[in-house]
Amino acid sequence: MKLFRRIVLRPLKADPIRTLISILSVALGVAVVIAIDLAGDAAVGSFQSSLATLTGKIDLTITANGGVDEQYLGRLAGLPLRAKLSPVIEQPIRVADGGRGSATVFGIDMIASAPEQGTGNQGGIFTAAEMETSAVVSSDAAVKFGWKAGQKIALRGRNRTTEFTIRTVVPGQTSGWIGLDLAAAQQLLDSFGRVDRVDIRLEPGEDLASARQAIEAAVPPGYSVRTPSDQEEEKRKMLAAFRWNLRILSYIALLVGAFFIYNTIAVGVVRRRTEIGILRAIGSSARSIEGVFLAEAGVLGVIGSLLGIGLGRVLAGGIEGMLSDTVNALFVTSAPSPISLSPAGLVGAVVIGTSVALLSALIPAREAARVAPAEAMRRSSREHETRVHSGRDLVISAALATLAVAACFAEPVDGRPMFGYAAALLAVGAMAMACPATIVWILRMLRPVLKKVSGAAGLVAERSLTTALARTSVVVAALATAIAMMVSVATMVGSFRETVQVWLVSQLGADIYMRGAGPATAGIFPAMDPRIPDLVRAIPGVADVDVFHAFPFRYEGTQATLGAGVMDIVRRKKTLRFMTGNSDTILGSLTGQDRAIVSEPFSNKHHVQVGDVLTIALGERPVKLTVAGIYFDYSNDRGLVIVDRSTLLRYLPEQPLTNIAIYLQPGADAVKVRHAIEEAVADYPVLVAPNRVLREGAIRIFDRTFSVTWALEAIAIIVAMLGAANALLALVLDRRREIGLIRYLGGSQGQVRSMILTEAGLLGFLASLLGLALGMALSLVLIFVINKQSFGWTIQFHPPVALLAGALALVWLMTILAGVYPARFATTIEPSDAVRSE
Amino acid sequence: MHPTNLPGYVSAISVRNVTRSYDGGVEALRGVSIEIAGGCVTALLGRSGCGKTTLLNLCGAMDFPSKGEVLIAGQATTSLDDTKLTALRRGTIGFVFQSFQLLPSLTALENVELPLLLAGTKGSEARAREILSWVGLAEKEESLPFQLSGGQMQRVAVARALVHEPKLLIADEPTGNLDTVSGDQVLALLRRAADEFGAAVVMATHSAEAAAMADIRVRMRDGLIQGVEQGRQQ
Ligand SMILES: Nc1ncnc2c1ncn2[C@@H]1O[C@H](COP(=O)(O)OP(=O)(O)OP(=O)(O)O)[C@@H](O)[C@H]1O
Ligand SMILES: [Mg+2]
Repeated sequence: MKLFRRIVLRPLKADPIRTLISILSVALGVAVVIAIDLAGDAAVGSFQSSLATLTGKIDLTITANGGVDEQYLGRLAGLPLRAKLSPVIEQPIRVADGGRGSATVFGIDMIASAPEQGTGNQGGIFTAAEMETSAVVSSDAAVKFGWKAGQKIALRGRNRTTEFTIRTVVPGQTSGWIGLDLAAAQQLLDSFGRVDRVDIRLEPGEDLASARQAIEAAVPPGYSVRTPSDQEEEKRKMLAAFRWNLRILSYIALLVGAFFIYNTIAVGVVRRRTEIGILRAIGSSARSIEGVFLAEAGVLGVIGSLLGIGLGRVLAGGIEGMLSDTVNALFVTSAPSPISLSPAGLVGAVVIGTSVALLSALIPAREAARVAPAEAMRRSSREHETRVHSGRDLVISAALATLAVAACFAEPVDGRPMFGYAAALLAVGAMAMACPATIVWILRMLRPVLKKVSGAAGLVAERSLTTALARTSVVVAALATAIAMMVSVATMVGSFRETVQVWLVSQLGADIYMRGAGPATAGIFPAMDPRIPDLVRAIPGVADVDVFHAFPFRYEGTQATLGAGVMDIVRRKKTLRFMTGNSDTILGSLTGQDRAIVSEPFSNKHHVQVGDVLTIALGERPVKLTVAGIYFDYSNDRGLVIVDRSTLLRYLPEQPLTNIAIYLQPGADAVKVRHAIEEAVADYPVLVAPNRVLREGAIRIFDRTFSVTWALEAIAIIVAMLGAANALLALVLDRRREIGLIRYLGGSQGQVRSMILTEAGLLGFLASLLGLALGMALSLVLIFVINKQSFGWTIQFHPPVALLAGALALVWLMTILAGVYPARFATTIEPSDAVRSE
Repeated sequence: MHPTNLPGYVSAISVRNVTRSYDGGVEALRGVSIEIAGGCVTALLGRSGCGKTTLLNLCGAMDFPSKGEVLIAGQATTSLDDTKLTALRRGTIGFVFQSFQLLPSLTALENVELPLLLAGTKGSEARAREILSWVGLAEKEESLPFQLSGGQMQRVAVARALVHEPKLLIADEPTGNLDTVSGDQVLALLRRAADEFGAAVVMATHSAEAAAMADIRVRMRDGLIQGVEQGRQQ
């Protein structure tokens, strides 16, 4: 304990700024990991249907592609089961007055579904007389639309507007919904004879498994019967790749922090060598020395982690909004739940932060334990002898690189690109091991230039980096890792963006698009009135109208989208690009046939090839569809299966329209035609957008999706900069004598400053070079392995050269800025003290 | 009669009535005055802790008097700002230390060249090579300090101190860490610096040999000058 106090706590206290920076770099790393986890949980948090508030816990849910036919309700009611059946309508709807936005309408049987508990006196049940005109609304909707209980509201259904009176506002809701009686909802939405799902609550004592079996036997084979946890699991799976990738990114910030803990401890060991030697000489065991340094790392880790938890909580609040936007836009509807730190999460964070700190201190602590007792007698600086086996390291580096390449060719594990992550990690390792040799080589080449350009400062700066090679390598490797992360993600995102942009231009071939009004959320396709296409066709200037039916379906336990359009128009307008095969032949073969085309992500996810047969339930019957082609698509990673409209309508004649693409006649005045269309459909809840607006919107969503990524990168770079400042400060402290001496030899304060800044600049330069090289390699892994395996799409490689050049220049500048404080500190060193104390 | 004490004489260094007290209240120097002339070797002698190093630092403008003044080439060190002090060190002063104080990461040649590089002098490398061969180490120019013996290191240090032809060479126990042979070589170099370059060589020493080869011996005790002897003893 005394040992600990003397050789750990005292130096930590004596060097408060360095200690603080070390703690901060752990804290930031931990904070990022926590923030991503918390914000991710919160963003995807409430899948649990908001309806549970009204109706209580649900045990099973029946759904079907195209809706559940009400005729089966009777059959289900006849089963010998003690269970409550609730047919549910759940659809997006537009609020008529003001048109300020949309909400979800729930239609449930307000007589049958009495709230079980907790929600008791909310008056969830309307009296029979007011049944048709009553509504309950969520607090979120009430706030959003400015509603109060007792108020009359107008809701705009498929082709009628109906007035309802708000009976109750349900408090504490985070999503905007409106509850109506089932019949009223069906009327409003023209959904007669069909419901979106049937929720089933079993009476206590009823066995779930056998109930499920009985129900499955009572409905057609195309129907699915699932528990809430099945659905939860499905959604979790859908988001898994997205969250994994963010999580891995956040671990990189922690990794950068780890490099710097390593550096801090290693510097401590070098600096306290004499002290360690004396302690050994007077009888301390090697073990206790090692323990003492590990304890130092532990102290830094624990304090850093605790700080990181607080910081992470704050950060989570900042990124939660971004994340839930993305989740909603790309994956699944969910209302964000409040951020909550669980005790287990807290402990986990401290454990992670501390063990990262301990692990990274392991090597230097070992080295400390190996200091010979005789060390104390030797005066010369040991740093010179911290030998770097750069040749051996190069061999290891090559081996790691080879393994990394091999890992790139491995198959994903359980849909996750585990080997891709491994490849990235191996590549970082390869870079780190190649650091010493590369640094020596580059510095040697720079030597003449440096001496010419910045004279003594350049010479000394270059030499001291080479002399302290072990230390320089760690700093450069850490910085390079952060830079590589930035470079690779920027390249991946830039390439992705470019690819999507090119794809949008070819895919969005029509001039004007329409869709049903409702939330712009993945997996929700608001229906349109079937009369609209004819209204539009009649407008002068309109050449072609392509109608599209889209709805979510489940395939091999995951969500996907089934779409049906007029393939003849698609063929003529060439809006789809296929991976192989002639698009005319493929599209021409679909009409009227049980044939389909699938998107690239669908093909990759489900290992579907051209010629394979998909079995998909359309209504009550499973239909066998032969895959005619695989087309490029970046709209969502769940995948699409597209059939010709004639095929769909054969099986699901009632399936509503969801989208319309309008092609204008050549020479038609686009603005005028659009106004005419808007005029014609003014009475219908539809949204009209010209091509350009849609395309810009898509790119906007894209950019928003990656805003979290950029935030993470910024933090990793900040951690790296803190580390660089820390390392430079250590270099200055350890070279006090040398700096004092330079003043004796006629060096000015300015020269001392420029020497340290030159070192900072060199570190930045070396790290940029290595980081760029590693970053390019990582971007290939990201694009062609990790992204491909997680999302299933092919991204074209388009490095954003200008952006990268700018970012690298900025990072370089920041590294030099990180040298400002150490440089200023160096100029305050009193030469006579510094030289005398040696 | 000769006007020996008129202020018109400019010596290399004038130390006038200097007191230097440290934070702890220790008075390392207590009202010391001495004139140090160019072209001769001045040795500061005395027990450990008597104030030799303190006086040398004052003479080299690396430290400043608490009271009194130190004039180097006629300028009071306290009147100079950092830029001027740096210029003074670059042009006028060279230092040799007991523990050599070579930069471990630079070769012998680079160590010697460093003051010229710091001063931005042209042709620095050739000049450094010249002086390195003057101290007899031409063949060691690529060696790093740890590859040299103590004597060789100190000779490199002397070369470094003389490379810019300073008027003033300050040496703090230059032979303190050396064996007799190496020490003699270094002393011979210091002697030649005074003779050939006309430098004022001031050195603190505990060694009898060093004291013997000096032109002037200043005996110190407890921060005071006890006496001054003139004339070489060999
Ligand atoms: N930075 C300092 N702070 C406080 N006291 C100091 C400092 N430097 C020197 N002293 C004190 O001043 C006195 C003179 O020290 P100085 O180093 O000049 O002695 P010295 O004659 O060079 O001794 P040695 O022969 O051992 O080198 C000593 O008592 C010393 O303790
Ligand atoms: Mg001394």
